[in-house]
Amino acid sequence: MGEQLTGSQILCRALLEEGVDLLFGYPGGAIMPFYHALPEYPALRHVLVRHEQAAAHAADGYARASGRPGVCVATSGPGATNLVTGIATAHMDSTPLVAITGQVSRAMIGRDAFQETDIIGITQPITKHSRLVEDVGELAEAVHEVFAVAREGRPGPVLLDVPKDVQNQKLEYSGAADATAPGARGRREGLADRPTPTALVEAARLIGRAERPLIMAGHGIILSEAYDELRALAERTGIPVITTLLGISAFPESHPLHLGMPGMHGEVHVNRAIQQADLIIGVGLRFDDRVTGNLAAFARGAKVIHIELDRSEIGKNVPVTVGLVGDARDILRALLDALEPRECSGWRGEIASFMRPRVESFKGGLSPEGILSALEEASAGRCTVVSDVGQHQMWVAKLFRYQRPNTHITSGGLGTMGFAVPAAMGVVLARPDEPVWAISGDGGFQMNMQEIATMVQERIPVKMAIFNNGYLGMVRQWQQFFHGRRYSATPIWSPDYVRLAEAYGIPGWRVERSEQVDGVLRAALDHDGPALVEFLIEQEANVFPMIPPGASLSEPIESEVVTA
Amino acid sequence: MTITRAVTVLLEDRLITFNRAVGLIRRRNLPVRSIAVGPTVTPGVSRLTIMIQSDEATADRAVQHLQKVVGVRNAAVFPARDGVTRELALVKVRAPGNRYGELLDVVQLYHASVVDDNPEATIVELTGSEAFVLSCIRALERFEVLEVARSGAVALEMGLTDAGARLPANI
Repeated sequence: MGEQLTGSQILCRALLEEGVDLLFGYPGGAIMPFYHALPEYPALRHVLVRHEQAAAHAADGYARASGRPGVCVATSGPGATNLVTGIATAHMDSTPLVAITGQVSRAMIGRDAFQETDIIGITQPITKHSRLVEDVGELAEAVHEVFAVAREGRPGPVLLDVPKDVQNQKLEYSGAADATAPGARGRREGLADRPTPTALVEAARLIGRAERPLIMAGHGIILSEAYDELRALAERTGIPVITTLLGISAFPESHPLHLGMPGMHGEVHVNRAIQQADLIIGVGLRFDDRVTGNLAAFARGAKVIHIELDRSEIGKNVPVTVGLVGDARDILRALLDALEPRECSGWRGEIASFMRPRVESFKGGLSPEGILSALEEASAGRCTVVSDVGQHQMWVAKLFRYQRPNTHITSGGLGTMGFAVPAAMGVVLARPDEPVWAISGDGGFQMNMQEIATMVQERIPVKMAIFNNGYLGMVRQWQQFFHGRRYSATPIWSPDYVRLAEAYGIPGWRVERSEQVDGVLRAALDHDGPALVEFLIEQEANVFPMIPPGASLSEPIESEVVTA
Repeated sequence: MTITRAVTVLLEDRLITFNRAVGLIRRRNLPVRSIAVGPTVTPGVSRLTIMIQSDEATADRAVQHLQKVVGVRNAAVFPARDGVTRELALVKVRAPGNRYGELLDVVQLYHASVVDDNPEATIVELTGSEAFVLSCIRALERFEVLEVARSGAVALEMGLTDAGARLPANI
């Protein structure tokens, strides 16, 4: 016999059964019964954020760093809608995020009740699955179902909408007995495909014969932890490895076979290699438009082997010669068994000849490169970097030398400004033993800087770095190149960040000269708690090279000289 | 080649699942000719038929996305010309007394039937392919057509098929 529990207690128990020990959330009317039950379950740590968007990003950051689903909680109406950007971010980047929202009582649904929104409807295109719990009897099963969906296959966000009266309903509860009946979740179970032996043989044959092959590694390597397999594939074949924005840190950057990042801000030699390749082995990526540039002109001479967990990605953007559907690690292992060792020294030499010195676009003493290499040194390479969106994101992607797996976290697909600061809180809680840097521009930082209060109250030692150039830099750069230098709405005023830090009771530094960088970074790292460092960088620095939107990878803008 | 294709989806018979499946087609902005949904012989499972105008690759991709939707048991697509497609229409017609015989001739010509014969208006039921139904409605427009209710097409692929097992050859 089970005991009589309320829906809220059952929800807490079901979360514990799923291995959850951390929630990011914000209470409100329709989720109050849940918050009433929460103190009875001290194993569930709740982090009170200052805005629900931050709860979703923090849970996302936690999921990316830990590989476990991140959980965020909000009330109905505005609480739920504030989660939307975070859910969409997780959706675009395939992160297992579980959003739990309160809903108005069942009798009130559909009557435009106070703080009622159709959050299931609103989030339908940006969730992998969502469920309105219609009775306490299905609550535990619903929790287990959404967690299973969030985790399995290609991960993604899910939403569980729990009406207030369901949270108060009572039920005899005897624990996680009946998970969802097999097959009830539809065909997706069947999607754990294995490639046919013929496809593997064909892939191995293409790899054996290619003269100018490339590996393009994406987020899928990190999600399936296929680091060793990727490295083995590269080393056995001598094929150089390109890492996409979300694939960065999937392959050590000191490795002689590492080439760099492709696409819109990819290095010239990387994009040129792609354009001249005769074989591209894409692993765990979706050939996003920021990676391919103009699709019609993308790697025209290349056959494509696409290794991807999500069958629907194969052939979506780029025509595929051989598609291998399944977990990247499993497939790479099978492929390794089928491969003969080979070398690519001639082709690698050719790519090396495409390399050119990096164009330093900044003036003055504080270069992004200098800051990032000092940061690397000060942390002795042992840190995780969470970046925001914009110019600094590209610098952080390209200039920091990532050696350890999954140490670069950013919002790739959705490009969500304001992501870094709250996401870094989740990363810190997943990785308490190493420094976590949230690097933002002055624009993105101001979108979610209220979360410093959360860090202070919850003792979450995020190290925040702001690359302050007084502009929404990436938009300004586009205005410079494509809109005749009309800097419309891009100059952006900032508060005094040092005094802001002081107001929150944390240390803050402003760095204006390169000789300050190292000392300040070390002081920030030495401080036991959150700390803020503002870098005043060159105002009109640009990110080079740059493929203009709609152009092919063969048409980079490489320096200031070429201005439209 | 852009032709009419039948996307058939077996799904859990809940509105939310139907909403997800149709929402997916909506998000991809596919030109939809008709949507029909009804129960199957399996309790709790409905069959959704969406007639779309698209090329093969677009339709295949839509099917692969549909297969990922929670609650969708299976999804498949075939060119409408490779299947039998039928829709039903109810047409409410008013024919003056002196032309009633003429109306019955049209009904007979199209193998349709009169299902309600009210002095003010007659309801004609007809079944056939989309082209057939349109042609019949056009014929009835010789009289005064007051209202038309069409079901949208349902379709089955001809011959012995295991639609769910068909996948692009290179996978």
